[in-house]
Amino acid sequence: MPRFRFDDEEVVVIVGSGAGGGTLANELCQQGVKVVVLEAGKHNTPDDFINDEWRSFKQMAWLDNRTTSGSFRIARDFPNLPAWICKTVGGTSTHWAGCCPRFKEHEFKASTYYDGIEGANALDWPIALSDLEPYYTRAEDKMGVTNTHGIPPMPASNNYKVLANGAERVGYKQFHSGRYACNPVPRDGRPATIQDGFNFQGDKNRSKWSTLVVELPKAAKTGKLDLRAQAHVIRVEHDDKGLATGVTYMDGDGLEQFQRARAVCVAGNSIETPRLLLNSASSLFPDGMANSSDQLGRNYMRHLTASVYGIFEEPVHMYRGETMAGNIEDEARHDPSRGFVGGYYLQLLSLGVPFMAAFMDPGSWGREFTSALEAYDRMAGVWLVGEDMPQATNRVTLNRDVLDQHGQPVPNVHFDDHPNDLAMREHAFRAGEAVYEAVGAVRTLRTPPYPATHNIGTARMSARPEDGVVNAFGQSHDVPNLFVSDASQFTTGGAANPTLTIVALAIRQAEYIAEQLRSQSLPKGHAVWDGRDPGGSAPVPQEATERVEAA
Amino acid sequence: MPELLSEKVRATTLKMTRVMFPHDDLPDEAYDKVVRQLEADALGDESVLATIELGVTQLDDPQPFSELDADAQLEILKRSEAAESPFFKLVHATAVVELYDNPLVWKAFGYEGPAVHLGGYVNRGFDDLAWLPDPPLLSPDFAKTVQEA
Repeated sequence: MPRFRFDDEEVVVIVGSGAGGGTLANELCQQGVKVVVLEAGKHNTPDDFINDEWRSFKQMAWLDNRTTSGSFRIARDFPNLPAWICKTVGGTSTHWAGCCPRFKEHEFKASTYYDGIEGANALDWPIALSDLEPYYTRAEDKMGVTNTHGIPPMPASNNYKVLANGAERVGYKQFHSGRYACNPVPRDGRPATIQDGFNFQGDKNRSKWSTLVVELPKAAKTGKLDLRAQAHVIRVEHDDKGLATGVTYMDGDGLEQFQRARAVCVAGNSIETPRLLLNSASSLFPDGMANSSDQLGRNYMRHLTASVYGIFEEPVHMYRGETMAGNIEDEARHDPSRGFVGGYYLQLLSLGVPFMAAFMDPGSWGREFTSALEAYDRMAGVWLVGEDMPQATNRVTLNRDVLDQHGQPVPNVHFDDHPNDLAMREHAFRAGEAVYEAVGAVRTLRTPPYPATHNIGTARMSARPEDGVVNAFGQSHDVPNLFVSDASQFTTGGAANPTLTIVALAIRQAEYIAEQLRSQSLPKGHAVWDGRDPGGSAPVPQEATERVEAA
Repeated sequence: MPELLSEKVRATTLKMTRVMFPHDDLPDEAYDKVVRQLEADALGDESVLATIELGVTQLDDPQPFSELDADAQLEILKRSEAAESPFFKLVHATAVVELYDNPLVWKAFGYEGPAVHLGGYVNRGFDDLAWLPDPPLLSPDFAKTVQEA
C-alpha cells in the first residue's frame, strides 16, 4: 500500500471508510484515481471481531460523546448515544446485517406524496428511480444480494419460519428470506454463511458484504489506495475562492496533520458529516462549509424503527442463523388510507440475551420484564423499519459546551417524532403483533426505537441550491470540489434500509468524479504550503498493508 | 480486589438487585456479579461509593430491606424509582448490563451465544423448528417479481 505525500495535489481524500466512503474509494481506484481514505477508527479485521454483544460493542461502536435533545425517547434512554454506528475500518458496513430493498418510484417524489403534511420539509429528489436502476443492479452484483444475479435465496432459519408462516396466515403476499447481501453459497472469494448469527458484530466468517472485506481490499490491489486508520478529520480547509484544498486531521499519535486534496468527499455518516462541515466554518463560510441553503444538519431522519417480539409455547432459538434474513414488503407502499403517508417493512430480527435486556424496554424492571427474558428461547423477532418525515427542526448542530478528545465541539442531535411517524409506528406494532398472533404467540412485546442504525438526510440533495446542500451527484452546490458520499445526501429517507442506495450512489458518484477529473472540469483549490514536511508521515507499516489485504 | 463495601451493604444491594430483576432459578452468584461491578465502579469513583452507601442506609431504614416481605420490598423499589433515586438508577443501569452479560445466565435462558468456533449453527439447529410447516423462501407473488427482473 502506498503512502501519498501530504502535499500531493492529485489525491482525492475520502473521509470515512463505510458503505459510502469505502465503495467510492474502490470505484475511484479502479479508474486509476489516487485515493487517501481517512478513517477515525482502528483497523480491526474479521479475526479481531468478537462474538459477544457488549465486548463487540465496545470494540466497534462510535462511542465518542454526543448529546441529544427533543422529545424522542432516546434522549431519556440513551442521552449520549443517539446512534448505533461504528468507528472502525469499514464503518457501519461492518455492523449492518445485509437487507437490500431498493427505493420505490414514489419515494423519490416526496413533495407529491407528502402533499399537505404539516411540518414535513418535503422535497423531490433531483433524480428518479430510473436514474438509479443501473447502479442498483451493479451494487447488487458487487454486494452479492440474494435473489439477484442468479444468487439463490437464504435458507429458512427458525426465526424466518415463524415470521413467514405468520405472514402467510395474515394474508401478506410479498415476503421472502431476504434480498440479503450475505453469501448463501461461496461467491467473490468469500465463503457461504455458517449461520453463526453475529452479523451485527462484524461477521467473523466474512460471508456478509462490507467495505472491510470487499471494497477496501480490492482498492488496495490497484496500488492507488492509501488507507489511514485512526485519522480523525476535524476540518475541511479551503482557499480564498472557497474551493476545498484538503483536510486537517488528528492522527493516531494525537498529532494534527494536513492532507492536501484535489477533491474532498465526506462520508462520515449523517451525524459526523454535517458536524465536520459545520465545524469547518470560516470567515468565508460563517454558517459552516457548503451551507448557503441553511439546510446543512437539518432534516435528520432515523427511520421509524421499533420491534415486536412474539413468545410461543414451543422453542424458536431466533439467535441461530442470519440475523435479518427475512422481509415482509406488503406494508412498504404509499397508501394514505392507513392513516399515514409512506410505508414500512417488517424485517427479521434477533438480539442476544445481553442486548435483549438492554433494548427490550429500557428502564423497565420487575416480573413482567424478567418473565419475558426467561422465555428468550421461545421468542421470535421482527424489526419495523419505515420512512420518517424530514423536519427542518430535527437537526444536528454543534454543542459548543461539550468538547471531544480533540477539543472539538460534539454534535447535538435534536429529534421530535412527527405525528405521521407515530401513526405509522402504531400501525406497524399492530401488524407485527398480528403476524405472531396468527401463529400462536402467547405474548407479544413492543420494543421502542433504539439508537439509530439508519441515519439519513443532513446534507440533502436538491435540484436548486437554495433547497439543499448537494446536487444530484452529491456535489456541494457551494464548493464544487467537495462531495457528500453517504446517506446524508438522501433528500428523503424512503422505507428501505439505506446501505444499498448509499452504494449505488457511490458507484454513480465515482463515475462522475473520475469523468470530471479526466476532462479537467472539476475546479481545483490552491493550498498554500506552510513549510512543514510534505514527505508524508512515516512509511506505511507492513502491518497496515497486511491488514487491508488479509481482510 | 480489596473489599470496599461492607458485608451489610453487599447483602442489601444483592437483595435489591434480586427484587428488581427476579429470576427464581438463578443462583446468588449471578446477582453477586452486579454487586462486584458496583464495587469496582465505587473503587474508581468516590461519588459512586457515596451513592451506594447512602442508598443502602435509606433502604434499611427503619427496617432492614432484606427482612421485609416481598410486597413491601417491591413497594420500596417502586417509590425509589418514582423519586428518581440515584441509587435506584445506578443499580438498575449496572444490573441490566451485568446480570445478563453472563454465560451462566445465557445458559439458564437457552441462549447458546458464540458459535463461530463451533462452525456456526448451520449444522447445529438453525432450521430445526418443526412445530410449523416449512414456509416458502419466496412467497409466490414475490417469486414472480424475481423471475421478471
